[in-house]
Amino acid sequence: MPLTPGEIEEIRGILGREPTPEELAMFEAQWSEHCSYKSSRLLLKLLPTSGSRVLVGPGRDAPAVEVFPGIAVVFKIESHNHPSAVDPYNGAATGIGGIVRDILTLGAKPIALLDLLYLGDPSDPHASWIARGVIKGISDYGNRIGVPTVAGDTWFDSSFDRQPLVNVACVGLARVEELVGEQPRPGDLIVIVGNPTGRDGLLGSSFASKPLAEDVDKDIGAVQVADPLTEKLLIDSLAELVQRKLVRYIKDLGGGGLTTAVSEVAAEFNLGAELDLDRLHLRTELTPLEILVSESQERMMVVVDPERLQEVSKVFEKYDLQYSVVGVFTNTGRVVARFKGRVVADVPSKELARPRSIRRASRPPVEALSGLTPVIGLPEVSISEAILRVLSSPNVSSRKWIYEQYDHEVGARTVVKPGYADAAVLRLDAGDRRGIAIKGDANPRYTYLDPFNGAANSVAECFRNLVSVGATPVAIVDELNAGNPEKPEQFWYFEMMLKGLAWMAEELGLPVVGGKVSFYNEDHLGRQVKPTTTIVGVGVVEDVSRVTTMDFKESRSAVIVVGTTFPEIGGSEYLYRVHGLELGEIPRPRPSSELRNSTLVLELIRRGLALAVHDVGLGGLGVALAEMAVLGGVGVEVDIERVPCRGCLRVDEVIFSETQARYIVEVKANSVNEVLRLARQLGAEASVIGRTLGSGVYRLRFGSAVVELPLDTLRTAYLESLERLLG
Amino acid sequence: MARVAVIKFPGTNCDEDVVRAFRELGLGIKAEVIWYKDFRSTGWDAVVIPGGFSYGDWLRAGAIAARTRVMDEVREGVSRGLPVLGICNGFQILVEAGLLPGALLPNESGRFICRWVRTVVEKPRGPWLALVEDGSRLDMPVAHAEGRYYVDEVTYREISSKSPLLRYEKGWNPNGSAYDLAGVGSEDGSVLGLMPHPERAIGVLTPRGFNPGGEAILRSIALSLRRGW
Repeated sequence: MPLTPGEIEEIRGILGREPTPEELAMFEAQWSEHCSYKSSRLLLKLLPTSGSRVLVGPGRDAPAVEVFPGIAVVFKIESHNHPSAVDPYNGAATGIGGIVRDILTLGAKPIALLDLLYLGDPSDPHASWIARGVIKGISDYGNRIGVPTVAGDTWFDSSFDRQPLVNVACVGLARVEELVGEQPRPGDLIVIVGNPTGRDGLLGSSFASKPLAEDVDKDIGAVQVADPLTEKLLIDSLAELVQRKLVRYIKDLGGGGLTTAVSEVAAEFNLGAELDLDRLHLRTELTPLEILVSESQERMMVVVDPERLQEVSKVFEKYDLQYSVVGVFTNTGRVVARFKGRVVADVPSKELARPRSIRRASRPPVEALSGLTPVIGLPEVSISEAILRVLSSPNVSSRKWIYEQYDHEVGARTVVKPGYADAAVLRLDAGDRRGIAIKGDANPRYTYLDPFNGAANSVAECFRNLVSVGATPVAIVDELNAGNPEKPEQFWYFEMMLKGLAWMAEELGLPVVGGKVSFYNEDHLGRQVKPTTTIVGVGVVEDVSRVTTMDFKESRSAVIVVGTTFPEIGGSEYLYRVHGLELGEIPRPRPSSELRNSTLVLELIRRGLALAVHDVGLGGLGVALAEMAVLGGVGVEVDIERVPCRGCLRVDEVIFSETQARYIVEVKANSVNEVLRLARQLGAEASVIGRTLGSGVYRLRFGSAVVELPLDTLRTAYLESLERLLG
Repeated sequence: MARVAVIKFPGTNCDEDVVRAFRELGLGIKAEVIWYKDFRSTGWDAVVIPGGFSYGDWLRAGAIAARTRVMDEVREGVSRGLPVLGICNGFQILVEAGLLPGALLPNESGRFICRWVRTVVEKPRGPWLALVEDGSRLDMPVAHAEGRYYVDEVTYREISSKSPLLRYEKGWNPNGSAYDLAGVGSEDGSVLGLMPHPERAIGVLTPRGFNPGGEAILRSIALSLRRGW
């Protein structure tokens, strides 16, 4: 967003004179919504951010939590929505690049990527072009830098036809004592390493802080171009610098480029900086203004003690990386930039780095009433057809076509791979039994119908996904994708999502250690896309050889449902996919049930009683059972009347309700009594609802009625639907 | 203790995985990552060229790395019988360097593919397959965009009668490779190249329904070096 007249007036006041064009560009970049969080900062204070495991909270480029004594996980989420709308391939690829560099700033080794994609209707040609470009961009970039893409989330909805949401997350590993972040001192050198700076991504963060223009192609210059080989060399060289303790501080040159990197560090540590812009290595001749705000990718700032410069240079030279010493930190509190001896900018770092927060007006729009519309008078449908219809939905069916394009094994840590379970599980190292679980979730339909409860459900879903593999959830990061903050009816969604997230994180004891806000997710007609709260969580796994996956393991096991079902089909995939309706009260978040039921599931896994676990989410019980049967190649029979359901009047309410806090667990028939006793002790509700079969069928009974489908039919619906749409 | 050099090019990304796999199996082998400029063929008992995207796969996978000076060193070692294993991008490099026959083309699907596959070993011979029986099945994951093996008929007749081969089991060919070939060795088996990743097919990393096929290959080289290959 260009600076407003009011902001320009304020800048005049700060400087006590007319700003130079360079200074104006610096303020425009730094005061953009993307870099400054000016519209969201006041509300973000609602989030619970502390906890006994939190080593680095929000504020740095990435947060860190202690997962085992002395072992830190550094993880962060980022959006690249706007660039991906214009150039899906490079937009998504550079999103990966940026989030990986955030992890590098703390000195951590990136060990996993997640991609969370909210894409348009795949039958729309433009949306399909975006979807394929985004997936190819992530594949080409992530694979080349040697970081496995282990998990994610994919959603298709026509509100994303023109403006997709491309959220990417990276997880890194570090020894606590090796985390980088010493205080830079006056006299320390500012070294920029990586790609030569070019004209790409000029004021990209400003571009991302306004709605999409109708003729988006003219913004192509604001999109950066991806170079994964240089990124890989940055990863390798920084690992060496960190291991040899040669740098004091590392920062990514991301949104806002050189201006943001320097001013944020200077402001944070009460420093100033002197920059000689003509010393920066360039791809092409640039003006000082362009140098200050270019967002060329694969560049990082390292802060180096002058005595270490020679050793640092040697490392960069080994990897054939270009670098330049562009300046020093000072104690003046001002960022001074020179070009060919002439001062082009001289601004106070604090005022540059932190614009005043803005209190935005917020007002619920009339369309929010659709989230209160009662679901009544639904026509009766064939249950078997409905199951196939929901199972083959692009929002439900297997993501195999996508995740097979990502190297999810490099690093030799991925114990539970994509498609096998609710979350990915990675071991810390070869031969180490300790590990972490990772998963990301969102449901744009929920947050659209009810932003508060929808965001809370995203947190709960992520929590359950981690629990399902046997991990204890420890922390989350969030990405809030919202509309135009200047429009009160759109800002309301952001405000409610944030409050729902804050509430549920608090209830489940999950600190929100970092996050990102993306505004202006509107299409060219000014319609906001479905507002979306994306949550990425990390859980601790004590022993990776004892985790559970979701595939049924054998015949004649007992099938148990944990949790009570309520008639909550408002906002469900069933309602959308079978009845074409997007309305109704979404499932209520139930934090106390979440905690009780997760305690039981974790205990079952710990005692080795659970053969398979799957959380009940999108598509309800009907879909969860089908997924477990298909993946295990094991049939199942369930008596729907044995599912504890409070207030359900119709069978489709039991089968397709998306009530929270539920799991399906496969246990050996002879351990049923022990499992039920444990459930009583822990105050959780568990009921045997059926058994696995020796034959390849999926059977649901309710009274005298029977729905029976061959597993092969379900397998085709589940495994091949997405490929048919995108392949 | 036997020393194995794991050569790292700019863009190589499986180097550490190979080193850790040797360590995890406790084979009494010291594997070290060596930056390509620093590699000399003397002083090593075996060489692994690991997977990744050397030089970003620009031009063609493996094409640039195959023409670096370090490959002259490798060639020198091979002429003295030094065991060399090329995994994925390493296989592509060996083929590009002319140390193994054939070529590796873009996958039939046109897409990168990461998935577990079953392979069957034929005529196991040489240090990398010493513990593998003819016809036995090794499961490993592949992860590549350019892994479709191609050989002309004449060369195929030659290698299929003389050289150790790995074939994708029927129905498991992920990329359209000719004759379902997943890997090929030199006649004496001292040089072996394969698209699947043995270092990822070990112990707890093996999903249900597959065997940890990488272990046999790493144990084989350890045994061969101990016996004095």
